[in-house]
Amino acid sequence: MTLSRKLTPYLYLAPMLALLAFVFGFSILRVFEFSFKMVRGIDGPWIGLRNYRLVLSQPLFWESVRHNLLLLLAIPVMVAIALLLSLLLYDRLRGWKVYRTILFFPYILAIPIIAVVMKQMFQFSGPVNEVLRWLSLDFMALDWIGSTDVALWTVMMLIIWRESALGVILFLSRLLSLDEALIEAARLDGVTWWQRAWYVLIPQMRGVIEFYVVISVITMLSAVFAYIYMMGGGRGGPGTSTMVTELYIYNALTRTSLPGIASAVSVMLFVVSLALIYLLFVVRRRAAEDGA
Amino acid sequence: MTDKPNSAQSFGRRRFLQTTTAGVGGMALGSLFAPLAARAQTPELTMWWWGEQELPGLQAYVDASVAAYTAATVKPMLQDTAVVISQFQTAAAAGTPPDIQYLWNGIYHMESVWFGYLKPLNGLLSDDTLRASNPTVLSNFGGNTYRAGWYPLPMVWYYNKDLFDKAGLNADAPPRTWAELLDACDKLKSAGIEPLGGGMQDGYWAEWWMSHAFVQTLDTAGEAVELFIGDKDFNDPRYHEHWVRLEELRTLGFLNKDMPSLELYPGIDLVVAGKLGMGQSIGSRLPADSKTTNGRIGSMVMPVFGKGKLAGQPIVDTQGLGIAEGSANPEAAAAFLEYLNTPERLEAFHKATGWLPSSSRFDAELIGDASVKAMWKAWGQSPNITNVTNLMPGQFYEQAAIPTGQQVVQGTLTGEQAGELAARVAQEWREFNPDLVEKYQQWVVDLSK
Repeated sequence: MTLSRKLTPYLYLAPMLALLAFVFGFSILRVFEFSFKMVRGIDGPWIGLRNYRLVLSQPLFWESVRHNLLLLLAIPVMVAIALLLSLLLYDRLRGWKVYRTILFFPYILAIPIIAVVMKQMFQFSGPVNEVLRWLSLDFMALDWIGSTDVALWTVMMLIIWRESALGVILFLSRLLSLDEALIEAARLDGVTWWQRAWYVLIPQMRGVIEFYVVISVITMLSAVFAYIYMMGGGRGGPGTSTMVTELYIYNALTRTSLPGIASAVSVMLFVVSLALIYLLFVVRRRAAEDGA
Repeated sequence: MTDKPNSAQSFGRRRFLQTTTAGVGGMALGSLFAPLAARAQTPELTMWWWGEQELPGLQAYVDASVAAYTAATVKPMLQDTAVVISQFQTAAAAGTPPDIQYLWNGIYHMESVWFGYLKPLNGLLSDDTLRASNPTVLSNFGGNTYRAGWYPLPMVWYYNKDLFDKAGLNADAPPRTWAELLDACDKLKSAGIEPLGGGMQDGYWAEWWMSHAFVQTLDTAGEAVELFIGDKDFNDPRYHEHWVRLEELRTLGFLNKDMPSLELYPGIDLVVAGKLGMGQSIGSRLPADSKTTNGRIGSMVMPVFGKGKLAGQPIVDTQGLGIAEGSANPEAAAAFLEYLNTPERLEAFHKATGWLPSSSRFDAELIGDASVKAMWKAWGQSPNITNVTNLMPGQFYEQAAIPTGQQVVQGTLTGEQAGELAARVAQEWREFNPDLVEKYQQWVVDLSK
C-alpha cells in the first residue's frame, strides 16, 4: 500500500477531526488556562495555582465533595433494585410488557418535570406527609426538602428511582440476549429461582453490571446537577445541604463572577472522573483476565 | 416625397416624453431615495432589555414605544433571564454592545461600570429626568450615575386584613415596632392563625429578610459595604441582630411550619389566601392580589427593631436602563430614554403593564386601585431607601445571605452563628476577589453620601 493510500482515510476524516478538536479541544484547553487566571469578563491575569489553593481551603468546596461522595451510596441500591426488577421481568410474568413500560417510564421523563412533581409531593404539607399523617405515622412525616438533615437523602431517593430505570433497561436487554439452553438446563436440574439468578444469570450479566456501575459513578460525580438544581431550590439548599461540585462550578461561573474558580474545580472534577473511570476499567480488565 | 419629420413636432414629442419620463422617473426615484436618504441619517439603536418575565405587558409597551418613535430606529431584543449580564458583558468586551442595556440595580450592573462597559448618564440625560426616575444611590460610582430607573419594585410586607379582624387587631394600623409585631403575632396565633412567614425553599425569602431587617442596623448603604470589605464585622452583635430577631420569631413559634419547604411565591399566596397573617412581598404583586381579595391585602413597612438611620423607611428597588460605553450614538440613545420618560409614555407604560413606571412625573391619580395608590404614595412618592441586598457580592449572597436565613428558620443555626458564618464568607470573598475589594472601597464613598 502506498503512502498516499494510507493517508487517504485520514484526509477524509481531517475536517471532522479539526472541527471536533476546535469545539471540544479548544474549550478544554481554555478551561485549563482559565484555572490559572483571575478571569474578569472574558480574560484576566495569570495567577498560578492561586485558584486551586483558594478552592481547596474553602469549607463549602469540601462540603460539596462530601455530598457527591455520599451520593455514591446510591449506586449499590440502584444495582440491587435494577437487578431484582429485571430478573422479575425476565420471568415474563403475566403483563410483563406493561410492567416494563411502567418501569422504564421515569427514565423517559425529563428530570425537571419529575423533580417539580416530587417537590410538590414532598412538601411539608404535601401529599406524602398527608398520607403518613392519615396513617398515624406522624413521626415519619419529615420536612423532606426543607430540612438540612433530610434534603440530600430525598434527592438521593429521586436519583435512585429514576436512574434505576436505566439499570432495568440495560439488565433486561442483557438477560434477553442470554443463551436459553443453559437456563433451561438449570431449570431441569431443579434449581430454585434464587439459585438460578445467583449462579446462572447474574454471572453472565457481570459486564453490563460493571458498565452500569461505571456510568452511575460518573453520574453521581458529574451529572446530578439537574436533580440538585430542581430539588435544592436552585441553590443546593436548604442552607448548603445539597450543594455538589457541579452546582459549585455553576455558581462560581454565573452567580459569583469567578470563572477562574469555576475552571479550577472543573479541571479537578475532570481529572478525578478520568482517574476513577480508568481505575474501574482496570478492575474490569483484571476481572476478565481472572475469569479467562 | 418623404415626409420629413416635423422637427419642431418631433422635438417637442421626444422632449416631452424625455422630460416627462425623466420628471416622473426623477420624482419616483426621488420619492424612493428621499426616505432612504433620510433613514440613512436617522440613527439606528439597539436595545437589549428584560422584564416581560416579571412584568407581562412590557413587551407590548416596548414595541409600541419603538414603533411610535421617529427620531431613531430602535431595534429591541428581549433577553433571557440567565444571560442578561453575561450577554451584555461579552458583547461589550467584543466591542459590539447594544446602545441601550437593561440593568439590574447595584452590583448587578456595577461590575460592568468597573469594566468600563457603561457610560455615565449624567450629562447625557437631563438631570430632571435622571432624578425623577429614581435610579437609587446604588447606581452611583465615582460621582457619576450609570442607570436611569425604568420601573420600581417597592419592597413591602403584606398583611391580611380579614385575619387581622379575626384576631382582634386593627387592620388599619398594622404593627410599627418590634414589640407591636410580637403582640400581633401572639394574637394571631391565639386565634389559630399562623402569624408570619412565607416560603424560603428557593432562598429569596432569606434575601428579602436581609433587605428589610439587615438594613435596620445601618446608617448608610455604604455601611453594608464596609462589612464586606472588612472595615466592619458581622460578628458585631449590631450587624447580625437581624438574624437574632429571625431566630426569636422561630423560637416563639410565629413562623409557618411549611416555610422551609415552600418557595417564595407560594408562600406569599398563603397571605393572599387567608392562611397566613403577614409576610414579605413585592409591590408589583399588589394590583393582582388586591383585586383577588377585594382590597383586603394591606402593605406595611417592616416593624422596627434596629437603631440604624435606615430603619423604618420604605424600600424601593428599581429596574433600570443604561447606555453602553461602546454605543456609536449615545446622544440618540439618551434621547430615546428621555422619550420613554415623557408623561405620555409613562401613562402608556401603566396602561400596558398595569404597573407603575419609575418616575415621579407619573400621575398617581391614574392608578385605579386604592390599595396600589396608597402603597405608591407611601413608597414611591415619599422618602424611601434602596434595597441594600443589591450591594452584596454574589459570593456573599449565595454562601451567606441565603443559607443563613434558611438555617436560622430551621433552627440549625443561631443568629449569632449566622453572624460568624457571614463574617467567614465575607473574609473568603475578600481573598477570592482582591481586585473587587478595591472597587468596593471606592464605591463606599458614593454609597455613604
